[in-house]
Amino acid sequence: MDAPSPQEAKEALALIEETTRRMRRAVAHGGAPYFLIIWGVVWLLGFGGAHFIGPNNAHTGWLWAILDTLGVLASFGVGWRLGRRVRSRNGGGALLGAFWLAWVFYAALIIAFARPQSGDQLSLLISLFAMMGYVTTGLLYRSTFITTLGMVVTLFILAGYLLFLPYFNLWMAFLGGGSLIVAGVYVLQTWR
Amino acid sequence: MEGFDEIIHQSARLQIMAALNALDDDSQMEFSALRELLGLTDGNLATHLRKLEEAGYVAVEKTFVGRRPRTYLSLTPQGRQAFANHVRALREIIGSA
Repeated sequence: MDAPSPQEAKEALALIEETTRRMRRAVAHGGAPYFLIIWGVVWLLGFGGAHFIGPNNAHTGWLWAILDTLGVLASFGVGWRLGRRVRSRNGGGALLGAFWLAWVFYAALIIAFARPQSGDQLSLLISLFAMMGYVTTGLLYRSTFITTLGMVVTLFILAGYLLFLPYFNLWMAFLGGGSLIVAGVYVLQTWR
Repeated sequence: MEGFDEIIHQSARLQIMAALNALDDDSQMEFSALRELLGLTDGNLATHLRKLEEAGYVAVEKTFVGRRPRTYLSLTPQGRQAFANHVRALREIIGSA
């Protein structure tokens, strides 16, 4: 076989670039849209429910407990499914799962000792810890998209708490949960 | 042309090599996931993988998850080197034009 012409070489390099790009997205970001949509729905229903039930109502706590449990189970399901497609001998996916479990554990401890004064403060702290997790994960995985998303939602959280406190839960349902869902759907549509 | 590799240059094999090269050194991709990513049929992918495996470029590991057989694929160090050389050769062809 003769060496290819410059045009054929250019086409081969373009094919390599395109395949590499698709692969990196499928592997590095393959799970991201599903996690974003799952937790966006949890926030939408949780904060939406908290607004209508009342942030300090005991039923709101139960609603969050149920939604968070479903969110964690769904996330493990997605993680397990993804782990079957690409596996790492050093357990990269399991490491990310362990990172988030440790994150949740310490966030829960800190919040428990901080004793928030109201349901709104509790929502604020949980949301900020969640976004701290997004930004850290984005930095670890060198994902500008996840890092930026975490920072933007953090701004929404702070703006909602400082400027629109009476509507904070409703604000978080639509701008917090909504942002995560829109970002997840956007990734699904464009990163394939 | 030094580094140009006829085995790798075929379009489907070029994509297989590019896809597996994008994985970390210690990662493996499942057969059906690669098939979906590249839009190849089972038979087509298996044929090209056999050729790459015979050349020593791809490592194929068959295992079971529960009762289901699974095939995991990765590039060998030799495969990574051959792919890097091939890409360099393609760039040289463009550069020399």
